[in-house]
Amino acid sequence: MEERPHKAHRPSKVDKGKGKEKQHGFNEKAFAPKSGRRADRQGRRNVERDQARLHVPLVNRTPDTEPPPVIVAIVGPPGVGKTTLLKSLVRRFTKQTLNDVKGPVTVVSGKKRRLTFIECNNDLNSMIDVGKIADLVLLMIDGSFGFEMETFEFLNILQAHGFPKVIGILTHLDLIKKAATLKATKKTLKKRFWTEIYQGAKLFYLSGVLNGRYPDTEILNLSRFISVMKFRPLVFRNSHPYLLADRIEDLTPREQVRVSKGKCDRTVTVYGYVRGTNLRMGTKVHIPGVGDLEMKSVSILGDPCPLPDADSEKRRKLSEKKKLLIHAPMSDVGGVVYDKDAVYINVPGSFTRGNNDVPQGEGEQMVMDLQEAGATLEDGVAKSHIRLFESSSKHLIVDADMDDDEEDTESSADEEASDDQEEEDDDDEPGFETDDDFEAVPQGANTGRLSRRNPTRTLPVASSSKLQPNDVDYGESDSDLGDEDDDDLGRRFEMEDGDALDLPDDEDENMDGDEDGDEEAVPRWKQNLSERAQALTSGSRRRKDWMKLIYSSNLTPEEVVAGKEEQMEDDEDEDVDNEDFFRIKSVAKREEDEEVDRSKERVNSEELKRLEDEEMLDSLRRLFITGGSTQEGQAEEDDEYEEAGGDFEDLEAGDGAASTSAAPVDPEASRAAALAAKKEELKRKFDEQYDDPEASKLDFYTEKKDEISRQLQLNLDEFKDVPAEARALVEGYRPGAYVRIELVDVPCEMIENFDPTYPIVVGGLLATEERFGYVQVRLKRHRWFVKTLKTNDPLVFSLGWRRFQTVPIYSLDDHSIRMRMLKYTPEHMHCYATFYGPVSLPNTGFCAFNSLGAETPGFRVSATGVVLDIDRSAKIVKKIKLTGVPYKIFKNTAFVKDMFTSALEVAKFEGANIRTVSGIRGQVKKGLSKPDGAFRATFEDKVLMSDIIFLRAWYAIQPRKFYNPVTSLLLSNKSAWEGMRLTGQVRREQGIKTPLNVNSTYKKIERPERRFNPLVVPKKLQAALPYASKPRAMKPQKKETYMQKRAVVMEPEERKAVALMQQIRALRKDQVARRKEKKSEKRAEHAKKVEKQEERKGEKVKERKKDVMRTIGKKAKRELDAEEGRGAKRRRT
Amino acid sequence: MAQTLIHFSGHHHLRLRLVLSILSGKPLKIDKIRSDDKNPGLRDFEISLLRLLEKVTNGTVIEISVTGTALLLKPGIISGGPITHDCPLSRSVGYFLEPIVLLAPFSKKPFQITLKGITTDDQDLSVDLFRTVTLPHLQPFGISDGLELRIKKRGAPPAGGGEVQFLCPVVKQVKTLNFVEPGKIKRIRGIAHAVRVSPQFSNRMIEASRSILNRYIPDIYLYSDVYKGEESGKSPGYALSLLAESTTSVLYCAEAVSQPGVAPEDIALQATRALLAEIEKGGCVDRQHQTLVLLMMVLGSEDVGRCRMGEPTPRTIQFLRDVRSFFGTSFKIAPADPLDKESSQLLYSCYGTGYINANRTLA
Repeated sequence: MEERPHKAHRPSKVDKGKGKEKQHGFNEKAFAPKSGRRADRQGRRNVERDQARLHVPLVNRTPDTEPPPVIVAIVGPPGVGKTTLLKSLVRRFTKQTLNDVKGPVTVVSGKKRRLTFIECNNDLNSMIDVGKIADLVLLMIDGSFGFEMETFEFLNILQAHGFPKVIGILTHLDLIKKAATLKATKKTLKKRFWTEIYQGAKLFYLSGVLNGRYPDTEILNLSRFISVMKFRPLVFRNSHPYLLADRIEDLTPREQVRVSKGKCDRTVTVYGYVRGTNLRMGTKVHIPGVGDLEMKSVSILGDPCPLPDADSEKRRKLSEKKKLLIHAPMSDVGGVVYDKDAVYINVPGSFTRGNNDVPQGEGEQMVMDLQEAGATLEDGVAKSHIRLFESSSKHLIVDADMDDDEEDTESSADEEASDDQEEEDDDDEPGFETDDDFEAVPQGANTGRLSRRNPTRTLPVASSSKLQPNDVDYGESDSDLGDEDDDDLGRRFEMEDGDALDLPDDEDENMDGDEDGDEEAVPRWKQNLSERAQALTSGSRRRKDWMKLIYSSNLTPEEVVAGKEEQMEDDEDEDVDNEDFFRIKSVAKREEDEEVDRSKERVNSEELKRLEDEEMLDSLRRLFITGGSTQEGQAEEDDEYEEAGGDFEDLEAGDGAASTSAAPVDPEASRAAALAAKKEELKRKFDEQYDDPEASKLDFYTEKKDEISRQLQLNLDEFKDVPAEARALVEGYRPGAYVRIELVDVPCEMIENFDPTYPIVVGGLLATEERFGYVQVRLKRHRWFVKTLKTNDPLVFSLGWRRFQTVPIYSLDDHSIRMRMLKYTPEHMHCYATFYGPVSLPNTGFCAFNSLGAETPGFRVSATGVVLDIDRSAKIVKKIKLTGVPYKIFKNTAFVKDMFTSALEVAKFEGANIRTVSGIRGQVKKGLSKPDGAFRATFEDKVLMSDIIFLRAWYAIQPRKFYNPVTSLLLSNKSAWEGMRLTGQVRREQGIKTPLNVNSTYKKIERPERRFNPLVVPKKLQAALPYASKPRAMKPQKKETYMQKRAVVMEPEERKAVALMQQIRALRKDQVARRKEKKSEKRAEHAKKVEKQEERKGEKVKERKKDVMRTIGKKAKRELDAEEGRGAKRRRT
Repeated sequence: MAQTLIHFSGHHHLRLRLVLSILSGKPLKIDKIRSDDKNPGLRDFEISLLRLLEKVTNGTVIEISVTGTALLLKPGIISGGPITHDCPLSRSVGYFLEPIVLLAPFSKKPFQITLKGITTDDQDLSVDLFRTVTLPHLQPFGISDGLELRIKKRGAPPAGGGEVQFLCPVVKQVKTLNFVEPGKIKRIRGIAHAVRVSPQFSNRMIEASRSILNRYIPDIYLYSDVYKGEESGKSPGYALSLLAESTTSVLYCAEAVSQPGVAPEDIALQATRALLAEIEKGGCVDRQHQTLVLLMMVLGSEDVGRCRMGEPTPRTIQFLRDVRSFFGTSFKIAPADPLDKESSQLLYSCYGTGYINANRTLA
């Protein structure tokens, strides 16, 4: 056996030339579609998939630079490990261990992200509030126990309020010992979690607890997930400003509290990052659990937990120092303990001033800064270490030749304000140091200006400044230039000298506020000083500061436009107390502008006269497309304008002198700049087209996205040069700013029963949301809520920021004709509910609860839905049936009583449709005088005396005006809030029996059987009737019939015959059955045969078809080849 | 919850204040209405306007003092729908249309309002200008589909007899305006109408107007619109309404109405010169429509809206002040081209309030 040679290797017959190993690179054919149709389908599918991936473009109002911290809420049933997780995460981010976590904890997690952790306790109110503000929810689930009711309730709350991102976290998995059980548990819990959130929702598993924390690697993984998570803006939060208060303080004077024994309304400040949209003054805020409150003031504070700035920006990772930053005023962190109304500063270890290595909490810093103040203010000013801006390098110097510096720093005025005002500033200064209100300066030191003014009023739009008598200052217009010209000139030339001169009028305080914001363009300012002076000498008009004129002066609009404000204002200032003067003036005014509320301007004939001039008319040509820039003389000037700032209309083109003198500031420079900008734009366009010609053609989605981002950029840029305070007035406080909001008239219980473990959310209200009305919602009872909901039972809604109890009425749309009241909510169906309460915008989601208490058994979310409509009246009707009985019946007419009680009522219902129970329709005709309320009615047929007649009508009902906000934060036991109870609940609690109405009890209804009398036709009548109509009532036959009387007895032959016939029939039956069976057998056989034949035939046909197709294919290929050849030829030509 | 009452004195700027109150939902109190006048209190057209506002809203409470010199308005919601209103003969339909145009986009149901009275007079915008100029101003704000003003009958003062129907769609939110390019005038249109006078009058007006305008551009169409019989109202009268449109669809308008003893040619010249004066002033919005555009900018989404306009009229100035007290929004008003001393044009920019039509019904 062994010597037998092995079989020689036989190489495979398959040609290896096309083998896989010979192929290089991507095989295009492998994934190419097999047919055109398939290619088409694949293309369609790809496009569809791409479209399905897109979301509706939404504006994200949260800025990309300096966004507010992301709120990460840790939610779960008690004992699941929330605090442990929070501590672990905080330790991961800041390397600090918190002992006692209360309230929000803010940490820096990355170069562009901060996180605010908040732990949500098990109270339903807290869950609702947290659900409204959380950006990311860490939903903790006890793996050894499974899901709890609170988890599902919380998920439903989230769903109603916009559904933020949710990460599930399974804990206590170490309690499951068996690996198989662990695996199974994980699987089932994951499945349940996925059905609740979405398929593939992230679920983390935390094994055991080590040293009071979760394992570091697991926390690291989780923290990485948190820090890179992206968030989609939620509609409600994107239209409301809000903040999560991380600090709260009571500012009420202690004395007031003492006098009122702690019962007075408090003034409270809350601190936090603005989120959502811009927070604006003048709107109200709502603190869920407290109520609507008025904002007295808002101020931006320094960021207590700032993002890393430029110097650390260079590295990829966060510097170690930044990692230590943590802001949690309510917890014992950073040495600051926040305790109701005091702040305790804990200094760790050895504390020495000047030791900068130890991180300083803000409290520490503050105290140390206070201690630092060594010198008095006067000394400070003398040393002049006051800097104009934080960024400015030079200090202010108080001496005679400071004017130059001054002018440098505030240079911007040339853009917006008239220069002589500045001049006057300078003039004021020498007299300044003797001024009484000098103390004010240090506060306003940021302005760096030594002129006398009120530092709180740095804004051109400040409303308070209206009351200041001496703050009025306006640019003059042509009309008064006549008398003031010399004065102006004088000032201007003085300014050039840089000499100070005391002028009697001390105006222009307000101007400074908007001027000192920007500090560039100094050289330019100086450059054209003389030019501008020249311009002014030639009688050109000065520019008005419209913002100031409009918003912070008490001139009438007419005066503002006429521009004669200065003298008028002075007069007014002098005669503030002179009543007589005022009266006369106002009367005069009234006469003149009786018809001021007209939209068409009165024709100004002088103005029009001007236009009669031919030259004037010709000068207007430039404003038309045909005009171009062909005119000589005017032309070059026009060009200049065009290049300087787009085209614009020259107001006084006719005034030759004016237009020539007012040349643009620096035509060369501006022209060059414009040209450069133009070139830049062209270059960009070219690059774009060259790089990707397709890119310039945008689809709808990208277009929208671009539009949004462009608008956001514009929002940022538009007010960039406005000083911060003025900017806050114009656009509010932007999201991301750390603000302090002062709230007035806060109930004292909020402070007295303050508990930092309950979140304080400050939600901004829109103007409409402050109003009340009837709100119509689409509502569905939650399928897990066991009871049905009943109309007029109180229900607690969580709608918008608010939680409130109200009394809804349920209804359904009845054939689009009416809203019909429902007594109970329908099963598995939406219905409408209408209630009285604060208005919310349509499309706002809500959830409703019967009770918020913890002891309520079962699932507490009783309904969810969405707001549909807001109105001041509700159109809900319920059916009412009025019944009556006929008391006299004619042919089609009946007299009906007992439906109404008076003739007046009948008169109201004349013409109404009525019906009997049996369905005979009729109409109310006219009331009868007796008995009261009886009426005549006609019917389509004769009614019976026994019929009940009813009138179906609709009765309009309005929901009760009941609104009861859930003031849970005001209670000492926050979960013990109890709203209006049901009557039954009150009775049960007080042990009162339900009063029984005798008429309402059910009694056995006795219905005596109706007996009908036999129809008796009188004999006489019978006789007269024709035969066909005669009643055929005959008595039943009493005697038996012939057949009944006889019994059948058969003869023997007869019996035999009958038996024989039976046998024959039986035989026949059997024969038929056998024949049938045989036939069916044969048929089956035949069918088989036929099938076989068919099969054979089919094969043949297939073969034939194959042949045909092959030939066709060959032919097509040949043709194609031929065509290609031709095509190639053609291409060549 | 007691809302903050906003308090004003005097009868001036009544219409816009009422509109602002209804839009913002803040109650309004006005006192000292012509208290020193020989004929104190509200006038008949003001009462009529209040009636009209009551008709177009639901739940509005209007209290007028016994003397008629004080007024309290607690606004309800704007309901819209089919409404008919007879305007008194003391003011034209334009007086009533102006507040209605501002309210209509924010109502619950689309407006179908029929106003009867004087259609053209010299105090308020005529219905022609409303149709051709005011309504197109709403287009950049996203209010265009189904926006229509139908002039059923014309009515000249003093007897009136005209009838217009105003249809307006409902919007959810107005778009943010960014309108800073005035462009150049590319076409001029005009309507010369004459009722109960010789139809030749309108042709004469057109001739006269063309004598000035023909020099500028060829694209001038002045229509002669003659109403006859029942549709021409009860009094004789004629007027010329002109509008100029720029390449960026800026609209300037002017008009002149017949006066006794003045030839139609002079009326036409007056209108034409007024139009040229308006064109000369420039900006993206003409003087009559400043308040309309500014209000829509305030009501825009929470973005920065910008518009270039001429100097504010007294009406506009008071309006800006009122807007601040109702909405808390103030405008940034800066020179449109700061380099140029001569230009009086201003750039108005504001941060919209994000006003959403809460009255609108969902499905």
